[in-house]
Parts: sequence; structure tokens; C-alpha cells
Amino acid sequence: MGRNHTGREVGLNLDRQICDEVADNGCSSERHIGLLPQRHRDRNGAAAEDRAATRVGLGFAEVAAKVGGLIRQGFPLPVVLTTLCQHFDATVHGCSSSVLLLDRTGTRVRNAAGSGLPASYMKQLKGKRVRWADTSFGATINSKTPVIELHPVSDTLREEAAPAAARDLRLYKVSPILSVTGEPLGIFAVYQRESKADHPRFHSAHIAQFTNLASAAIERMRSDEALKRSAALLERTQQLSSTCCFSWRAKTDEISWSKELGQLFELDAAEVPVTLELIGTRIHPEDLPSFHEMIERARSGVSDFEFEHRLLLPDNSVKYLHVIAHRTRDQEGVLEYIGALQDVTHRRHAEEALAKLRAELARAARVASLGVLTAAIAHEVNQPLAGIVTNASMCRRMLGIDPPDIERARESASRTIRDAERASEVIKRLRALFCKKGVTYESLDLNEATREVVALSLSELERNKVMVRTELAGELPPIQGDRVQLQQVILNLLLNASDAMGGIDDRPRQIVIRTERDEEDRVQVSVRDTGVGFGPQGADRLFDAFYTTKSSGMGIGLSVSRSIIESHEGRLWATPNDGPGATFSFSIPSGPLTTAVAGARSLGAIRTSTATGAEERHVRSL
Amino acid sequence: MIAKRPLVSVVDDSESVRESLPDLLRELGYSVRVFSSAEEFLASDCVWETRCLILDIVMPGMTGPDLQQELTVRGQEIPIIFVTAQCDEIVRTRLREQGAVDCLFKPFSDAALCEALNAAFRLN
Repeated sequence: MGRNHTGREVGLNLDRQICDEVADNGCSSERHIGLLPQRHRDRNGAAAEDRAATRVGLGFAEVAAKVGGLIRQGFPLPVVLTTLCQHFDATVHGCSSSVLLLDRTGTRVRNAAGSGLPASYMKQLKGKRVRWADTSFGATINSKTPVIELHPVSDTLREEAAPAAARDLRLYKVSPILSVTGEPLGIFAVYQRESKADHPRFHSAHIAQFTNLASAAIERMRSDEALKRSAALLERTQQLSSTCCFSWRAKTDEISWSKELGQLFELDAAEVPVTLELIGTRIHPEDLPSFHEMIERARSGVSDFEFEHRLLLPDNSVKYLHVIAHRTRDQEGVLEYIGALQDVTHRRHAEEALAKLRAELARAARVASLGVLTAAIAHEVNQPLAGIVTNASMCRRMLGIDPPDIERARESASRTIRDAERASEVIKRLRALFCKKGVTYESLDLNEATREVVALSLSELERNKVMVRTELAGELPPIQGDRVQLQQVILNLLLNASDAMGGIDDRPRQIVIRTERDEEDRVQVSVRDTGVGFGPQGADRLFDAFYTTKSSGMGIGLSVSRSIIESHEGRLWATPNDGPGATFSFSIPSGPLTTAVAGARSLGAIRTSTATGAEERHVRSL
Repeated sequence: MIAKRPLVSVVDDSESVRESLPDLLRELGYSVRVFSSAEEFLASDCVWETRCLILDIVMPGMTGPDLQQELTVRGQEIPIIFVTAQCDEIVRTRLREQGAVDCLFKPFSDAALCEALNAAFRLN
């Protein structure tokens, strides 16, 4: 680097000297151009001369205006730069120019535009690295200053022979085209034919002007591109996320919105100025009051806002929108909201479908358990009814014979009464199980609760050929709990156990239901079966809602059971048996409830009873 | 001399049924034995003597249909009238197809019982 760098010091100094001269002369750019000979040298024949005829005589201001016009009209950058080069060549005698456009890294030639230079040479420059420090291009980019050279172009191509057509070209001066922030955008290169020996030092200021113009053109094009890309990206993102954006000046009600938003509202924003009134015509009538309320609140400028409302479109279709707006001030300090609006119709529909499905599922679960329950009730009640009907028939027969057999009739009547009492007992048990209202905590004996459930579910279990053995502890401390809920848990465990043995034929289908008191004075109920058990992967998921191994199950039972037991400060768990099957157990603390739970459970009571309210609240806060 | 009354055996775990049916059956002219389970019946000495079996379907341990199958295996074809507290037409149809005389849903009338018994004894 050292030698080359030093070698170019002369050139650089020379160049600066020229610039200084121009500055000292106090020449403005335009005036300077006016002093320069504006001649055109034809290098491409008559056609070029025709084109050139229009160029000759243009001042720099006019060139700049023309180039600007091309940019505004959307001409591609190479065309704009080629025009720029043509104008340069037309105004500077004996020179040809090119603009090498660098890529975003500033290290390679992305494109080369030029006028009057061999196409083969221009083509060869494309894709070339420019950062070789020992080339003119590299030096000008690295130093960010113009470099004056007068040597064959082969130097610029490094290690490659220049095409024959370019052999007599000499690179006269290369200038870096820099962005306003000093990033290299390209290189403006001026060439001379070897035969033309004019010393072009007087063109220095002119070259600087064109370099600046090229810089402006490239930057403008790049920012246009970036803007276009950003707009395209925004549009695409809006489409992807079904989001539109808008701004609203709360004071003047000026609204501007994206094209997509107009489409969403089915309003043509291009034809009609968007007003709140117009937007109001699309808001669902039921949501209109809350919409206006929102607007008024926003108008007072309190904060950012966010709300959901519906649109009712001309075809009577309904859309759900989610709106988020951020409060800001524009450059003049006027209150303005910048917002995004998302079409959440699909999500809403999905949510509604899901809610409907959940309701259906819950209903199905209720119907399913109701079915099981109805069958159990029917079975229990039909047994004594059968006795009643048979006994009554017998009684009638005894009374119908001549003479009536009063004694046997009386026996039948007595049996009828006994059966009726049995039926009544069944009803009483059912009432105890299901007719309670709400959740009530009372002191209860889990042995008794278990016995009732076993009695009620026997027929169902027998239907599944399941033998039930009860091993109830002699004495259990009472626990505080909701009888109905706990009995539902026990019933669920029993029926689960029964279902788990549905396909078992090589061993007895047996359930052992056991109650005991553990060392921590908890009352434990366990239901042990000889069924299929659960695999290691099942253990984790057993208590998840909707997890089931049964073809007909809903997978709700165990998750609900666990939540019931946990609300009693208890624990529900499952363990695989040593032998076949599994054991499901729960345990609940005996004795009075702890203060926290008592407080929580008394919540209803607190609300209705002011007398004990203060005390209860105190307990709850502990 | 009175001819020996044909034996009807009742197998049902329901006490109501075991208490009420024998009296009526005797009144209808049969002699009666009652059992609370299928196992008890099979272990008794009156399997060969029984001319008709009134049999509950759902019982702890061996069920009614289990007993029916066991009797078939043993080559003892006794006409069977099933009685059940579970009202299930599909079960009734299947049991009839499998050779049962009838399947009565509890509670059943004495007329329905008589009809079923008559059908059973026509088979005899």
C-alpha cells in the first residue's frame, strides 16, 4: 500500500491544486461550465451526432434538471447514468466517461454505464472487485478522493488483458461517488484516447460537478428503491397479517389510511375523502355507541386506545376488527393517532366455533353421565317394583278365590309394603347424592359416603362382570367436605376401574375399594383394579382434561375429580399395581378446615352475613 | 294322588323378586326353588329336576347368560325365562335368538309371566 499510496500523492495533490484554483477564481459551478468549450466529438457515427446535437449547448443546470426529470419519470438507473455520461462527453472535449455502480458492500462493480466506451470493456468491468489498493479504482475508493492517472486501462482490470477495443484508452481521472454520509456508491471515471493528447486538467471542476450529480442520482434512486421496497414490504405484511394502518388527526378529523383499509371497509378512499361519518356507516349498528364513545375519549387525547368492533358491510356480511392506536404529535404538535387495524373475523369465527364445540362437549358429557345414571336408577328402582307388582298380583288372586285366602293376601300385601319401602330407600339415597344445591361443606364420614356410592353403582359394575370388595377402616375421623362432589369422585374412580377391566378375560375383574387413616391423620380412599393399568407415558397425562384411553370416554372425569379433591385440600394420584392393574387414591385432611380454606369457602356467607363479615375477612387475610 | 308339580327355579340376586315370585308360582301350580346366585343354583341338587328357569341377567359373579352357556355345555337344555331390571331391547332380542323362551323387563305382570311359563312348558 505504502508505495502506491505515496506514488499517488502527486496526483492527489495536483487534483487538489486544481480544485483550489477553481475555488480561488470564485467560479460557481454553472459559470465555470459556461466557460468550458462545449463541443462534441463524434465517436459513434452520424446517429450519435444526431443525438449529440440536442445535447450540445446544455449548461450544467440543464443537465441536472434533465437527469432529475429522468429519475422522476422512473427511468432505470443505468439509463439515467448513461445520459449523464453522454452529457459529460458532450461538454468535455476528447473525453469519454463512465459511472461504475458499486454493490451495497461498496467492493464490487454492480453495473457500469458509460458513453463512447467499448461495450466489451464495460461488460468486463461488471462484477469486478474495486478494492485492490494498487489500482486506480481501489485507490480512489479507499482514499475517498479523486485520483489522476494517465495510463492504460488494463490497470483497472488487474490480471486480465483489456479488450482490444479498449487498448488505446487511457484512464485520465477517477473520482469516488460518495453518499452524503461518505459511503462509496460508485466511481466516475474519465478516459482519453491515447491519440488525444489534450491535458484535461482544466476539466477538474466539471468532473466534480458530474460526480456530485451522479451521487445525487444514485442516492435518490436508492432511496426511491428503499421506499418502494419498504412500501411493498408493508403492503405484503399487511396482507399477511390482515392488518391495515391509518392515521387520524383528532382535532381536524383528517384521516388517511392504507389502500387495504379502504378495501376492508369496502370504501373507495381514492374517490371519497374518508371521514368519521363515512366510517360510521360501516360500523355495526350495535357497536356504534361504543365506537362514538371511543372516538370522544380519544379526541380528548387521554391515551393510546385499543378496541374491538364489528363492521356491517353493504352485503350484510359482518367483519370483526381489532384496532390499536398510538397517540402522538405531528411536526406541528397536532394530536394525531397512528393506528393499526386487524381483521380478526377468522379468529373470532374460530373462537365461536370452539366455544360452541366446548358447550356441545360439556353437554355430551352430561348426557353421557346422565345415561349411566338413568340406567343405574332404573335398575335400582325396577327391582322393588317387580316385587310390588308380583305381590299385588298375588294378593288380588288370593282375594279373588272363593273363599278368599285372607291370610295369604295379607302376607302379599305386607311384602308389597316392604318392596315399596325398598324403592323409597333407593330414592332417598339418590336424593342424598344428587339433590343438594350448590357446594356445601359439612362434616362427613367417608366410609358412609363410599358405601352409598358402592350400593348405587353395584348394578353397573355387575353388568361389566366386576366383583367389588370393600375394605373399609373400622373408625375414620370425620372430614369436612362436599358430600355430592366427593361421591362423584368415588363413583368416577369406580367406573374408571370397571372400564379398565372391560377387555380382561384371563383373570378376575376385581375392584377393591379401601378406606384408611394415614399417619398424618388424613383419610384415604383407594380404588384398586385388575385392569389394563397405564403405561409410563400415561402416568403424566392421566389427569389432563380430554386425555383418555377409552374409545367411548370423554377424558374429563379424572381432571374434574382432581380439581374437586384439590379444592378439599386433598390429593388424587395413581400408582401402578405390583400385579396387573392400577390403584387410584385420594386423601383428605381430617378435622376442621384450615383458616384459609374456611375463609375462601365462607365467601358466600361473608357476602350475606354482615354480622360475621369483619371476623371472616380477618381470617381470610391471614 | 296329586301329580308331581313341575319344578321352576328362580335365580335372582334381588331379594324383592326372591320373596314375591315363589308364592305366585306355587299359586300357578308349580313347585319352586329360589337361589340368589348362578353358582348356588349349579351347586344345588335340583338342576336336573328343573323344568323351567327364571333367571336374572345381571348378577354379581356368574351372570344369567353365563349360566345359560354353562348349562348348554353340560347338555342340560332347560327352558329359560330371563328377567331383568335393565330395559334393553337389544339384549332381549339377542337372548331370544340364543334360545331363551322370553326376556321379561321388571316389573312384569303376572299375565306376562303366565304367558312365558306356558311357552316354556309347551317346549317341555
